[in-house]
Amino acid sequence: MAAAPETIALVAAPPHQGLWSKAFHKFCRDRAGLVGLWVVVLYAIVALGVWLGLWASDWAEVTGPKWGPVSAEHWFGTNLIGQDIFARALYSTRTAFELGLVVAVLSTFVGAVLGAFAGFFSGGWIDELVLWFMGVIDSIPFYLLVAAIAFSLGDSPYAMYIAMIATFWVGTSRLVRGEVIKLKELEFVEAAHAIGLSEVAIIFRHILPNTFHILLVQATITFVAAIKSEVILSFLGIGIQDGMSWGLMIAESTIEVLAGFFNNFIAASLLMFGLVMAFNMFSDALQDALDPRSVR
Amino acid sequence: MLEVRDLAVEFDTEHGRVRAVNNVSFSVNAGEVVGLVGESGCGKTVTGLSLLGLVPSPPGKVVHGEILLDGDDLLKLDEAGMRRIRGSEVSMIFQEPMTALNPVLTVGYQMTEVLRLHKSLSQRQARHAAIDMLGIVGIPAPSKRIDEYPHEMSGGMRQRVMIAMALSCGPKLLIADEPTTALDVTTQAQVLDEIVRLQHQFEMAVILITHDLGVVAQTCQRALVMYCGELVEAAPINSLFASPLHPYTQGLIGSIPRIREHKIERLPVIEGMVPDIAALPDGCHFADRCNRVQADCHERSPVLTPSADAGAVACWHPLEPQHD
Repeated sequence: MAAAPETIALVAAPPHQGLWSKAFHKFCRDRAGLVGLWVVVLYAIVALGVWLGLWASDWAEVTGPKWGPVSAEHWFGTNLIGQDIFARALYSTRTAFELGLVVAVLSTFVGAVLGAFAGFFSGGWIDELVLWFMGVIDSIPFYLLVAAIAFSLGDSPYAMYIAMIATFWVGTSRLVRGEVIKLKELEFVEAAHAIGLSEVAIIFRHILPNTFHILLVQATITFVAAIKSEVILSFLGIGIQDGMSWGLMIAESTIEVLAGFFNNFIAASLLMFGLVMAFNMFSDALQDALDPRSVR
Repeated sequence: MLEVRDLAVEFDTEHGRVRAVNNVSFSVNAGEVVGLVGESGCGKTVTGLSLLGLVPSPPGKVVHGEILLDGDDLLKLDEAGMRRIRGSEVSMIFQEPMTALNPVLTVGYQMTEVLRLHKSLSQRQARHAAIDMLGIVGIPAPSKRIDEYPHEMSGGMRQRVMIAMALSCGPKLLIADEPTTALDVTTQAQVLDEIVRLQHQFEMAVILITHDLGVVAQTCQRALVMYCGELVEAAPINSLFASPLHPYTQGLIGSIPRIREHKIERLPVIEGMVPDIAALPDGCHFADRCNRVQADCHERSPVLTPSADAGAVACWHPLEPQHD
């Protein structure tokens, strides 16, 4: 009986949504994916609120005693110098989203364009060049690269962003390149040539739209990777330079944990865990929904 | 209108350089439907692609020849010049309507793209023109269907969309590469009728590439028969079917399944295999399979020579023309 309303929904769906509406319906049947999505949306609202100045704007101010306990005023207690840990954890959500979005969008864009050109001209010099770049970046240890970029930019707050974008595009690019090599042999590409389109127009208008499902999944994976890397980099002191982040909170807590005060550590870890976990669930469900080969 | 002279196309393969099309010459008059017939791999598709400068390069290359469209040599044009010809002066439709339309773009997007590329139309004008064109090729409710994706249409419908796209800029020449092979027989007949009707309506020439002689008999005025990258016979349809001159053509016609007066045990076949074009035999390429072969066939390559009935044949010992 449960299948009946779904069938009706499928039939009633506007006829010209096609591939995406199919994926959408498949996604809607994935419980874990939906839970993940709602948690991510919740985080996004928190981040947006911080950005608009609705809450957590007092994250840097000393509002309580040193190492204050959990209370109605300070939900997660206060830290070493009496700053509210809850406000700091919320503010860090904004940092995480900013980083995740910027890195995911830009590295996916770079990866898509370079991968598409390499795949379309596979075997040619553009392909050789892009593959060489990928090899070079793959061969440099990530944290070393960040440190090197941070040094060369003189501790710029953008060092970590640049290092992540410069590294994370490679994975997307390899996937897109492979897909494009497959796509360019299809007849619609030949047909696009036959109507007189230029190669650049064919790549951007006809081939790249056929890789959107890959790009979407890759963007969510990159988002999570960026947030996780930020924590480690900030902990090492080469991540976020100004502002607050979960990584900086954990770095801060190293002294506190020794003194038996765990609030900072637990708050940052839990919030990060929640977002990463939810995003992974969302990303998995998205991948399943968009994969034409997977069984519903 | 179209004149092809001594066209030769080569491909670099693992087995060295292979000549896929060798010294092919033919012409197509305005408003004429010409069939290009042959087995798989005989070079008919490559010939079609080279007319549009679409031979995949590398590994392919047009080695020599001239392709004159109203007197202008297309092979001398640069890529930008060629792009202006494609889709406006010369269009092409492909074998697989299932894959020849981009699955993630609407029919409307793909149709207006051609129109806007070659004609200075606004988005609205292009959309109107596209809807008109879909109506002309016989798609019901074109103003609704224009917003659909290819997967929402049947094979015959998609092929009609392809035809609509190909014709939307009013080309002088349409190259149809096995346009009906992927369709079922009923749809095949409809699409062929449609092509013939539109050919009259738009007064364009059509080169119909096919391996199906039945299709040629139904639609073409003239046929060119290719074997191993060479033209072996060219003739008007009536004389080609009534009295083929080349033994290969005779074999092809003989092997068509049909209703016969006398019961036969087996369908006649052409004995032997198509030779590997990387290692073609000397002399006539068909000699090893020919039932009229003589000693000199293995030594000298025949050239296409005009025959009676406005045809031409490349054979040292052609069949006698029959008149009845």
